[in-house]
Amino acid sequence: MMGDALIKTVDLKKFFRVKGGILHAVDGINLEIPKGKTLGVVGESGCGKSTLGRTIIRLLDATSGSVFFDGQDVMQAKGKEMEEMRRQMQIIFQDPFSCLNPRMPVYKLIAEPLEIHRVYRHSADLSKRVIQLMDTVGLARRFLNSYPHEMDGGRRQRVGIARALALNPQFIVCDEPVSALDVSVQAQILNLLMDLQSAMGLTYMFITHDLLVVRHIADEIAVMYLGQCIERAPAKQLFREPLHPYTKALLSAIPIPDLGQRRKPVMLHGEVSDPIDPKPGCRFARRCSQCTEKCTQQDYPLREVSPGHFVACQRYQ
Amino acid sequence: MEDMTKKTVEDSTPILELDDLYVHYRSEGNIIKAVNGVSLKLGRRETIGLVGETGAGKTTTALAVMQLLPDATARIDRGDILYNGESLLRKSKGEMRAIRGALISMIFQDPMTALNPIKTVGAQIMESLTIHNYEHKSKAELEARVDELLELVGIKAIRRNEYPHQFSGGMKQRVLIAVALACQPQVLIADEPTTALDVTIQAQVLALIEELKEKLGTSVIMITHDLGIVAQTCDKVAVMYAGEIIEDGSVEDIFLGEHHHPYTVGLFNSIPKLDDESNRLHPIDGLMPDPANLPPGCPFSPRCHQCMEICTREHPAITYQKGSHRIKCHLFAGGEG
Repeated sequence: MMGDALIKTVDLKKFFRVKGGILHAVDGINLEIPKGKTLGVVGESGCGKSTLGRTIIRLLDATSGSVFFDGQDVMQAKGKEMEEMRRQMQIIFQDPFSCLNPRMPVYKLIAEPLEIHRVYRHSADLSKRVIQLMDTVGLARRFLNSYPHEMDGGRRQRVGIARALALNPQFIVCDEPVSALDVSVQAQILNLLMDLQSAMGLTYMFITHDLLVVRHIADEIAVMYLGQCIERAPAKQLFREPLHPYTKALLSAIPIPDLGQRRKPVMLHGEVSDPIDPKPGCRFARRCSQCTEKCTQQDYPLREVSPGHFVACQRYQ
Repeated sequence: MEDMTKKTVEDSTPILELDDLYVHYRSEGNIIKAVNGVSLKLGRRETIGLVGETGAGKTTTALAVMQLLPDATARIDRGDILYNGESLLRKSKGEMRAIRGALISMIFQDPMTALNPIKTVGAQIMESLTIHNYEHKSKAELEARVDELLELVGIKAIRRNEYPHQFSGGMKQRVLIAVALACQPQVLIADEPTTALDVTIQAQVLALIEELKEKLGTSVIMITHDLGIVAQTCDKVAVMYAGEIIEDGSVEDIFLGEHHHPYTVGLFNSIPKLDDESNRLHPIDGLMPDPANLPPGCPFSPRCHQCMEICTREHPAITYQKGSHRIKCHLFAGGEG
């Protein structure tokens, strides 16, 4: 797996200085995403999943650690090299309304990345490419001159996807791309993302809090809690046999649309706190029903307990 | 035995009944047909799930019951809303104010905007209690009740003097629930109460509503787009599309029934399943119609795979009925019901 990883992070950290101390938003993440595959990143609000996505494509500069794209160090890249890398790494945002300039029509929005990177010399080529992208994402040509507010959420998200695809990237961070959409539209967009992946060999990092969606779209899933990855496994395996107490609670809390499975979720008490100047030990310990004295004494790193299944919990050391 | 029959008789009058309700908004010369002939019966201690996507008219229906529709633009054009057999539409503003919050209350969708940012959470719960203080309880008694309510929703009473911004999203939602439950309402309308929350907090809030339902005997209208929540919490389900209930029945009818409206089928096919190994979802093509410009005939016909000639012409009535299960669709007009 080492050899064909398109994205690799090594002990990646991103801290923010906030009132009251240092917020450890991303705290020592090691992950690999093989070419053409999807890594799902799940966790609750504030677990650092969006910060992780943004740090990997260097929308944020890391505090320490490194990110490798196809073997190249993203954090060290400069000038032309970085510009080239930015073409290869794109992002689709959650809210397609706030990430699109309200004063630009669809044509301009999709052409923008192509203009910034000066891909075409002739405007005829540029408009040909814009039309082609609209076809690819399933956006009717009559929307060419529409503004974002004139479109519904699903179509706006298609514009966001067209922008991300414009420069033929290899890697796309999808940050909650369907969370703001109705279920029927959500399914349309998920199908589109999967079709694009198989047609273009794209590699995705799919960030979401929706566990049914992530099981559907991801090959591998990383579960985050307060800035750390606490469990990582192939998608189906994680749902079959979750090991970390937090993963178990998370999975049992999904309301299943099936009457045969009415059940009592594992209730977690309390709420996610902020990882401001965290103390050593498992960050979930305070809410964990199986917490022992050992849990708060030292950090427990991810350990491989079966092929491809990693968990960071004292009980599996 | 005698007690039991008596109980059934009493239970058979619905606590809340919507009868052929129409709500239309008027704006800039357009008529926006948000709710078009909704009929619904909510029994005592029952939870009805009102399911549908953005623009289906779920929230407008809820606001109509609460009589909180904007006066300037919205009008109830036809139909009636009965609480315990009495029409709410004939109540005066004062009478309605006495009912709202005391007998029927609502948990709003967005806990971030529904609370007053410059009042402490304790004061906001207190407000509801003082407005409806019909038993003339003393200040001290009401104060004690505020503490009791906070504890009930899982917030320590010492936090009563804190402001909304000092609480997380899940905690704010609990404060809203405490406000809604302050006067032990008979009917609770929960408008997407957990959409803004994480799954583990969602589980806590749903369990809380369930617990209160058992303790206080409240009936609940659960507005949601999440079929998972419906399966886990509801007794009855009404599926809304373009301001109409296009299918309704018991939760078993909707999840296990033999026949369904094509829109209901589409909704189910749009969600990824836990045991599904295939990689493709089967979404509904197209979008919900514009309520200012509804298509003739069946409102779902432009998106329907099984659309027939009659569907674009004639509005379907209830064509399928089996027990409590009802569907409005021309597919079943052949007398299958």
